[in-house]
Amino acid sequence: MLTRSGEQAAVSIFLLIVACSRLHANKARTPTSVPFDPNLEEGLMESWHENRARKPPPRSRRFFIIVKFIRSRPFFVNTAALLFALIFSIALGAVYISPNNVLRILVEQIPGLDILPDWPDAFATIILRVRLPHSVLIMITGAALAGSGAAYQGLFRNPLADPYVIGVASGAGLGAVAAMALHWPENLLGYYWIPVGAFIGALLTILVVYSLARVGGLVPLTTLILAGVAVGTFTSSLTSFLMLNSDDRIHRALSFLLGGGTMSGWQPVLASLPYMALGVILLILCGHRLNVLQFGEEQAQQLGVSVERTKILIIVTASLTTAVAVSFSGVIGFIGLIVPHLVRMIWGADYRRLIPLSILGGSTALLLADVLARIVLAPQILPVGIVTALAGTPFFLWILRRAKSEVFW
Amino acid sequence: MNHFTISDLSVAYQTVQVLDRISLQVAPGEILALIGPNGAGKSTLVRAVSGVVKIKQGIVSYGGCDMTQLSPPERARILGVVPQAQPVGGAFTVEQTVLLGRTAYMNWLGQASPADLEAVHWAMEKTRIEHLAQRRNAELSGGEQQRVLLARALAQKTAVLLLDEPTNHLDLRHQVNFLSLVKDLAQQENLAVMMALHDLNQVSMYADRVALLVDGCLLALGSPAEVLTEKNLHTAYQTRVQILSDIDGYPPLILPRRA
Repeated sequence: MLTRSGEQAAVSIFLLIVACSRLHANKARTPTSVPFDPNLEEGLMESWHENRARKPPPRSRRFFIIVKFIRSRPFFVNTAALLFALIFSIALGAVYISPNNVLRILVEQIPGLDILPDWPDAFATIILRVRLPHSVLIMITGAALAGSGAAYQGLFRNPLADPYVIGVASGAGLGAVAAMALHWPENLLGYYWIPVGAFIGALLTILVVYSLARVGGLVPLTTLILAGVAVGTFTSSLTSFLMLNSDDRIHRALSFLLGGGTMSGWQPVLASLPYMALGVILLILCGHRLNVLQFGEEQAQQLGVSVERTKILIIVTASLTTAVAVSFSGVIGFIGLIVPHLVRMIWGADYRRLIPLSILGGSTALLLADVLARIVLAPQILPVGIVTALAGTPFFLWILRRAKSEVFW
Repeated sequence: MNHFTISDLSVAYQTVQVLDRISLQVAPGEILALIGPNGAGKSTLVRAVSGVVKIKQGIVSYGGCDMTQLSPPERARILGVVPQAQPVGGAFTVEQTVLLGRTAYMNWLGQASPADLEAVHWAMEKTRIEHLAQRRNAELSGGEQQRVLLARALAQKTAVLLLDEPTNHLDLRHQVNFLSLVKDLAQQENLAVMMALHDLNQVSMYADRVALLVDGCLLALGSPAEVLTEKNLHTAYQTRVQILSDIDGYPPLILPRRA
């Protein structure tokens, strides 16, 4: 029963997304014509002409209102979706806790609010010690991946840029693993060092990929992906090498990380929060500059942007957020590719909106992917990276096919 | 009066001298046309003056203020550039594109102030693209795109306007409309306009003064009648031309002869 309604929900969400993205296109295109049939009678011909003249094409009214609402209130829709996904993600697991109880347990934590606890004590422990930190970490990771993906796409003016595809995630993974191999985190302070290692790894990788992929003033699609794959494979194999030569405890943790699993408990969350906060602020500051950069570096300079400085700011910011994501959740692909694309299709290309919306949408998307990863083969838990890769690869190929005639780009 | 002055400007790519000691001046309200064969350095001059290409020596100044020392936003408040129309930024709406002209006035968040919005609407009104405001750049025709880029430069509210071969790829009607628009704007807004052009008859019709560049050097500078002579054009283009100067209601027209 549950999977059945889940299926329906997935289908209707997909239809909504398609409808939202079509709204732009319909404005420009002439109304779709009905194929001409010479055998039609006179009366029918009239209605044929009427049909031709009518625009936009008829559409279910209720559906249209929902689409319009989604398009006109991006922040409300995204925040609401994120909250639902969060509650849903906390509620599901080996023990099902109803969303109602989840909400009340969370509200009870706010000092000054006393709710008579009528749930088993174990529920509160499960939620506060296990599920909430896990979900929050997933949220942070999704937000960081989608935010940095949007920034990379804007920087390279390339619809296929994504921290995973261009190899930066693998580089950050190598940095994180190196940091852990050097100094296994014993306390919170130890955890703070992992993103630093990941950041250095990410930054070095992006500089190498960038200089390899750059042809003249542009970063063409093909060279970017080739360079990303080459450098990404190289850093992944270095990571595997490090793992083979590390002791057993690290070995287990790292192989978990590589498949895109997450660490547990509150310490990774606390360790990633300051980096994430800085990353989000910097990403939002990049918004307008990314808009200007879409017109090419020369025009950006003439419009009053210090191009070189701006590029460094964007690279540092995107690498920082990628590092936050990879440090505690491993290498998760395609969230940084899919989410900014969907946001761009529905709410347009303005990076001042695209970036914060991608951050919200990335959290939601990864939370949902994580829920799927936990329930598909329950009680076995899949690494969330497998789910995003399964969903992301067809999407990647679809973008690759239509990249030539980009309407939204 | 504040003149836009280029003095002794040289630019080199590695060891190749691309521009060699160019000196010229543009007065407010005046259109100076840059002409010369392909590769003579017209585009390089536009790029050097707008800070995209590094200057080897020389001074670019406006009203006595040395522009080579300014930061990009400071320069963008004095000098606006209309580039050749390229298929970029297709996903942005016309209004968003014109708003980018206000970049030099915005804060770090890129929020538009009332003054910014006013400048955007003024620029769209002047270039007659208000009805296109919510259209996407990818949906526009070449003539419309070029007017959007002009509006974006106008929104910068600069005293100097540079145009790099703006009538390329435009049909006859749009060429004439666009150049007339630039001419009117130069006079109404007292803009100092420097425009690279290929069509010599357009130069003769719209330019107040002409600078003829050949191999990075300034071959001639003066009124269209002084610069557009059979001798100068033969030196520059290696092509024989005939100047028709006695047609009623027209400035001198230039006709190439068969090779």
